[in-house]
Amino acid sequence: MASAYYEFYRGSSIGMALTDSLDELITSGAITPQLAMKVLQQFDKSLADTMVKQVKAKTTLKGHLKTYRLCDDVWTFIVQQASFKMEQNEVILTPRIKIIACKNGDAIEAGKK
Amino acid sequence: MSFALPARQVTFGRPSAYQQQQQHGLGGNPYQPQNGLALPGPHPHPPPAAPNAVAGPSTPPAAAAVPSTPVPLTLEQQHITAVEGIVPTLQNIVATVNLDCRLDLKTIALHARNAEYNPKRFAAVIMRIRDPKTTALIFASGKMVVTGAKSEDDSRLASRKYARIVQKLGFDAKFSEFKIQNIVGSCDVKFPIRLEGLAYSHGQFSSYEPELFPGLIYRMIKPKVVLLIFVSGKIVLTGAKVREEIYTAFNTIYTVLCEFRKP
Repeated sequence: MASAYYEFYRGSSIGMALTDSLDELITSGAITPQLAMKVLQQFDKSLADTMVKQVKAKTTLKGHLKTYRLCDDVWTFIVQQASFKMEQNEVILTPRIKIIACKNGDAIEAGKK
Repeated sequence: MSFALPARQVTFGRPSAYQQQQQHGLGGNPYQPQNGLALPGPHPHPPPAAPNAVAGPSTPPAAAAVPSTPVPLTLEQQHITAVEGIVPTLQNIVATVNLDCRLDLKTIALHARNAEYNPKRFAAVIMRIRDPKTTALIFASGKMVVTGAKSEDDSRLASRKYARIVQKLGFDAKFSEFKIQNIVGSCDVKFPIRLEGLAYSHGQFSSYEPELFPGLIYRMIKPKVVLLIFVSGKIVLTGAKVREEIYTAFNTIYTVLCEFRKP
């Protein structure tokens, strides 16, 4: 069940913070590693669900699609000269960005690396 | 490599010498990368047995620009390919190749660029290249379909590029059984056409159901080409295996269309 969720949010700052805290708790003997694993799995699930249900922020992306790939339901895009237009009309330019987009349950969900 | 340009491509249906020059200029470039295509398969020259080689042997492009090339085309043929200065433009060429080697599509999808593989929807890798701008469907059996090329040479070059990509991924791909399966052309006769009249008098070949499709579908027997004829005078020709069939079909239909020109 838990394996149905991607683990990439563990690399985000909130995920790193959680991992650090769990490590500390394990070292001090407050929790078992098994419990820590369970917490992380719950974190994967909760974050995935939250991203779908609660995050409403949007951005538009323009640029030249250099390469793309679809394999195992994961899209990979390399976009050159990309410009992101955020909600407050803030524009972020980047010469090159790699986008990895994964499916999440019935919703499609994008994750960046 | 530009010597692989068949004489037909530069002499057939190109009305002006200026355009022929342009063809050379454009035709030269796509061949440059082909130097890197060290495929063990046949040489990029059109094989003598290939159906598209009917126009004769390859001629160096420099000589081909001169109208007096040894192409076995009668003056009449050369003339009628440009009725009223209209020559059908090739829009799409579909070719098949046998790479003669089982392929692991997942490996290809993972390692090649611009590849899509979704076995739940379609059992082939869809791959694209930018030059010549084409799309290939690569199947696990090693068979491949290359679409989107605008000329026979582009189709062949693109097919070789795809074969090379597959080869570079570690498969023992060959380049065999290259065959052009379909050629699509289009043109505009620049006058409106009475489709009802045409459908009535050529009922044997025509199918005109304006409620289903606004064009008249004309199934020519010789050459075996299907034409979509629209009131506007725009024509789509498809089903040909060699470009000459497109030209012949257009010449044949042109005289008919003149009869049914809207007053």
